This record gives sequence, structure tokens and C-alpha cells, in this order.
Amino acid sequence: MPAKRIIPCLDVKQGRVVKGVQFKDLRDLGHPVDLARRYDAEGADELVFLDIAASLENRGTRESWVRGVAHELSIPFTVGGGVSRVEDARSLLRAGADKVAVNTAAALRPALVTELADAFGRQCVVAAVDVKRDLDLGWRVFLKGGSEPTNRSALDWLWELNDLGAGEILLTSMDRDGTGDGFDVQLLDLASQLPIPLIASGGAGLEIHFLEALEHGADAVLAATLFHEGILPIPRLKAYLAQNDFSVRI
Amino acid sequence: MSSDPITLIDYDAGNLASLEGALERLGLSYQRAATPDQAAPSGPIVLPGVGHFEAAQKSLRERGWWRVLPSLVAEGRPLLGICLGLQLLAEGSEEAPRASGLGLIPGIVRRLGPGVKVPHMGWSQVRQYNPHPALPDPHGAWLYFVHSYALEPSVETIYVADHGRPFAAIQARGTVMGFQPHPEKSGRPGLLLLQAALSWMGASAPAPEAPCN
Repeated sequence: MPAKRIIPCLDVKQGRVVKGVQFKDLRDLGHPVDLARRYDAEGADELVFLDIAASLENRGTRESWVRGVAHELSIPFTVGGGVSRVEDARSLLRAGADKVAVNTAAALRPALVTELADAFGRQCVVAAVDVKRDLDLGWRVFLKGGSEPTNRSALDWLWELNDLGAGEILLTSMDRDGTGDGFDVQLLDLASQLPIPLIASGGAGLEIHFLEALEHGADAVLAATLFHEGILPIPRLKAYLAQNDFSVRI
Repeated sequence: MSSDPITLIDYDAGNLASLEGALERLGLSYQRAATPDQAAPSGPIVLPGVGHFEAAQKSLRERGWWRVLPSLVAEGRPLLGICLGLQLLAEGSEEAPRASGLGLIPGIVRRLGPGVKVPHMGWSQVRQYNPHPALPDPHGAWLYFVHSYALEPSVETIYVADHGRPFAAIQARGTVMGFQPHPEKSGRPGLLLLQAALSWMGASAPAPEAPCN
């Protein structure tokens, strides 16, 4: 079993890392390469960059910072945002990304996942899924950064993504995201039955929340604010998880 | 010691940007080579690789590498395969039963599992299996892996790692070496391993200060 991974998530807009509440009041946190270097030194196991304003116009900007990050970083990283064709993924991978994340485009055209897996291998394909609890459907899939509900059951979709060729699932609980109340562990109990690695996202506020996510089957845990603001330094989190008998890279 | 740059095989199936970044941090010079005529006249050749075994094999054939690599190795040229690059050095892979490997390292690459998540994705510890002059005991160093297939440990295995069962993390035979993990993605331990392997293969870093001579 590989070590449990700690993954800071960075939102990028027009080549800058930003932080805001639901994409409003964006605050500039710096250049992707500078933050990449900082997290590499702090002991992050992997990074996820989500380009929150991906558009045709800023593809060139994106390739240039992805290339810069690949050059500096000695750990792997994923880039997502606006990947809807094999060619989008190819340009990111050629610039040095290790994996690409797909979300809305995969839900609108599921064959995309298979095309990416066939072209680059399934280890390159991270399927990001945003979900919210619902009385009828259990957990329901939301698209477009969580702004658009669908009638798809999240658990059905996760298994379908596995069958389509996704190599890993990045599962965000919108109910918990930004609350600091902890990960949705019931969701993790079910999703961790998948035969591919599961990254838990949404709700981290305390060290114990990460422990809970791992106890409920997550292979990796992702958080943003806690790490960006220095509220929970990664070395402290890893020491805590190691004390609780989880295998982490120290 | 060769003063030629390291040759990086560029065949659309490798993450060259990260590898180049790692070589630059180590102060090692390199050049990309899409076809064998672009290779440096001597010095180590690196075969990176991500993706599918058969697609990579096809791309190497189209660019003329497939026929040339065995003869270069027969002449004593050092060759380092990374990830899929290692698997291509073997005799074949369960991933593509109808496509053969380069046959420079014995063994067939087999699918990981059952009973574990595949791909094996993330950081795992490696330990020494057989001694090698270039590679010291790793003392449980953490390295980054992303793969679904692996070689079984053999007399050519230098380091092993575990995912469900032990598998070969580093293989070596003569001047040929293969890394299943990504040293360019494995933090400082990975960089040190890459440096150890490449300097054993004859790569030289530029002299920090030119002596008067």
C-alpha cells in the first residue's frame, strides 16, 4: 500500500493562484511556480491546480505556468479546468503536468474519459466529481464548479467513471466544502469501494478530519485554505497521521 | 567519463519537462532526440515513458529507435528506462501480449494485483534486493510510482517495493538500468538516485570552477 497522500489544491485564474469565496472576492496568493516550490519544500505529496477561468484565450498562459511548475517541482501535479478534448490534455501533459482532471466535460460527454485513458493511460486521468446530498438521489452530481445540478446519482456516476477508464477520483462534498466541519465520511465509505484511488475533498478544518477521511477509505486528502493560510502546516499533519498509525511520507 | 550531453528520447510518450527540470537541478546537460541521428555521439540515453506499452512501442518504431537501441546497448552504450521506459526494456508485457519488448532485460511485465488498487499510484518505500556499485542501500526511501504493471523481482533487481506483492523497483543488467518509480517526481531521494545512476553511466556535471590548465 502506498503512503496516504496530502494534497494542497490551488485555484488558478489567468496565471495567478487565487483564493476566494465561491469564486467571488478573489484574493491573489501568488504565482503558481512560487507556491509549487513552497509546497514541495513543506512536504506535500502532490499538487492539484484547478484553472477556474479556463478559456480558449488563456491556453497559452496556462501552458507557460504549467511548464514552469513542471520544471521546478520535484513531486507530481494534476491540472484541471476546461479540459474537453484529447488535444487539451495533450498540451497540458506535454507542458509537464502528470495528470489531467476532467469534470463537466466528462459528464456531458463520457466518452472523453475513455479517449483520454486510451491516449495517455488511465493513470493520467483524474475524474473530479462535485456532489451534494439529496433526499431523492442520495448524493447528486453538480457541474460547472458546483453551480449546475444534474439528475445523476453520484455513486452511479463514480462507478461509470471507473468503467470508462478514470484512474483516480477527486470527490468533493459541496455540503462540507468551506465549512471546516470535516469530510463527508458516509460518502467516503461508499466511494472507497471503487477499485481506483480516491481523493477526499471538502470540509477539512482540523487534523482529526484528515484521520477520519483515511479511516473511511480515502487514499489521499485534499484541502486548500487550511494549507494556504498556514493554519495546519503539512509536517504537523503528517506527524499526527503517523502517530495514528497511518503510513505517510515523512 | 563522457563530456557529451545525456540523450533524452523524445517520442511523444514521456514527461520530458519534469525530467529536464530534474537534470537542470542536478547540473547535468542533456539534449532531446526525436530520432537516433539526433542522439549525442556518446553518453547515457534516457528512455522515459508514460502511457500504453503498445502505443509507445509503435512510436519508438516509427522514429527508428526500436531497431537502434539494442545495437547501441550491444556496443556498451548506457541506457536508462524510466517507468514505461523500464517496461519497454523487458521481453514483453501483459498489457500488450502481441507486442514484444526490447528484450534488454529478462522477464515479462505483469499486471499488479489482485487485491490492491491498480494503478499503484503514490509514494512507496523501496529496499535493497541485490547490491549494485552505483546504488547504495536506500534505507526505506519513499519514491513516487504510477503504474499498473511491473516486473517480478529477479537476480537483476536492485531495489524492490511492495504493492500487494513485491515487485522490481529498479532493475539493472550491464549498462542497462530501469526505474519503475519516477525519480524526477520523487523529491530529493529521487534526484539523488537519478544522479547516482547517470554518473555511473558516465554523465558528467560541468566542472563548477574551470581550473587553469
